[in-house]
Amino acid sequence: MKPLGTLLAFLKRDFQIEISYRTSFVLQFVGILFSVVFWRLLSRVVTAAPDTPGLDGIDYFAYVLLGLAFYHYLSAALLAFSSKVRQEQMTGTLEAMLVTPTSLGTIVLGSALWEFVMTSVKAVVYLGVGWSIGVNLRWEGLLPGLVVLILTILAFSGIGILSAAFIFYLKRGDPITYLVSSASALLGGVFYPPEDMTGWIATLSRFLPITYSLRALRKALLKGSGFGELLPDIAALLLFIAVLLPLGIVAFRFAVRKARQEGSLVQY
Amino acid sequence: MNEAAIRTQELGKAYVKRRSLREIAMSPFAAAEPVQGLVDVTLEVRRGEIFGLLGPNGAGKTTLLKILAGLILPTRGRAEVEGFDLASEDRAAKRAIGFVTADERSFYWRLSGEENLVFFARLYGLGAEEARRRVRDLCETMELKDVAARQFMSYSSGMKQRLAICRALLHDPAVLCLDEPTRSLDPIAAKHLRRFVSEKLHVGRGKTVLLATHNLAEAEEMCGRLVVLDRGRVVRQGRLEEITGGLPGRDGYVLSVTGNGRVPEDPRWSAVEEPQPGGTLRLTVAVDRGGAALSDLLRRLLAGGATILSCSRREPSLQEVFDLMDEGGGGAP
Repeated sequence: MKPLGTLLAFLKRDFQIEISYRTSFVLQFVGILFSVVFWRLLSRVVTAAPDTPGLDGIDYFAYVLLGLAFYHYLSAALLAFSSKVRQEQMTGTLEAMLVTPTSLGTIVLGSALWEFVMTSVKAVVYLGVGWSIGVNLRWEGLLPGLVVLILTILAFSGIGILSAAFIFYLKRGDPITYLVSSASALLGGVFYPPEDMTGWIATLSRFLPITYSLRALRKALLKGSGFGELLPDIAALLLFIAVLLPLGIVAFRFAVRKARQEGSLVQY
Repeated sequence: MNEAAIRTQELGKAYVKRRSLREIAMSPFAAAEPVQGLVDVTLEVRRGEIFGLLGPNGAGKTTLLKILAGLILPTRGRAEVEGFDLASEDRAAKRAIGFVTADERSFYWRLSGEENLVFFARLYGLGAEEARRRVRDLCETMELKDVAARQFMSYSSGMKQRLAICRALLHDPAVLCLDEPTRSLDPIAAKHLRRFVSEKLHVGRGKTVLLATHNLAEAEEMCGRLVVLDRGRVVRQGRLEEITGGLPGRDGYVLSVTGNGRVPEDPRWSAVEEPQPGGTLRLTVAVDRGGAALSDLLRRLLAGGATILSCSRREPSLQEVFDLMDEGGGGAP
């Protein structure tokens, strides 16, 4: 019960901090509204042929809407683990947390939770606004979609924890955040279907977990696909989780031990 | 029964000096140079005492405290807090120790003092209701009750420091480590804090306090025993009078004289002359121990035309011990 209580304490802390910046809190949601309207208008002008590989008959606006809503989970995973750690290092609060008996793993996980909660709220707002202006969401795909989402968060968290390991060791210049977020936005199917890409770019997109996440989420939520149809993407995500999560945890443990040896755990 | 609240044995910490790009370019395969943060530090802090950790900047005080708080791993040796080995029982050791960091920023500035404390109380494993009750009690004890609901960013330095002490007491640890707690306080706030630590925490609650400071007056006022660190090594250790008692090879005296009180030059003594109201002269002298040096000094003063009104033995202050260390005269007594 105690670890759960500790995680709830992190959520409460971040909620209290978040609402202390009232204007910024509200503007985040206004920003989503503007973003959805912008893409709605743009998709009226830029229309892709229905037989474009990867679209599979999906309207381009609906395609982008899902891409935007769930790309934020990747940003959250990368930001929540590494940026939060760095922020806590710089404000001195990390040191204050590390002298408590709470494990470093719980501290890092707890610090990341709020980002995921906020991202989920934003994803719901994205989908809600999209639905209100004509995107046809298939409710029968909700359960498979949720399962894919959980796998997505786990796979992205592996990358996020790896990124936090870099922050502990290198302090700055974490190469993971930049590389993964740029490559994912460009090649992972947020704005453009990877299936329509050719050559080495298409090959590269297959090494990004977001490619499989977005494809499965679109199939579930826009076409109402069941687990059977999502199986190849789910298998790919499980493979990413099996590789990235242990890799992230091992790298994180190594980096923390090294930082404690060097006495640089709370340096930035 | 184990009487030691903290015990370290031959504790050592070596840092690896980061090489500059130029050094790496000039000799890419050279081994990094180690920098000694702590060297064979052996000490024992007894239960219920205020133990001072003294030394100039870079002496290793904070390194030692951070090792005890579990933030840094030692390179060698071992350390125990309340009988818990830091290497194998670090969680239990963390429950036994409260660490007050020197960094007054280490709170969430947008949260109130109370919200901050409740959050940290949860990290110490307290339940929600227990955390709130404990925070209320501590805020009352630390005279923060009236400002507990205010955002941390509106606090004065004194309030921030008291809040940091509240945080270190949330789990009611037996040992409290204070890293230069009065560094950013004005003299009055510093005096209040010292009194609080001595009277309420030490005497009132029976806490063992390990106080790191470079404020010698503070150490003299608060600490029963202390250790002096210099460049990571223990150079002196013991009760205050043992540390100040007798600079190596010399004794201190204070003389009050009238007439010609000029001290003749002699390698066996050194003196500081201070004119006093009423025409007297105060001489603070350090004289070679043993032999006839003191008698010779007095004889030559009298022969020079001085009248000696008083002469008393005087223990050197910690400042003088430090000055002597700075001149290379330090060393374990």
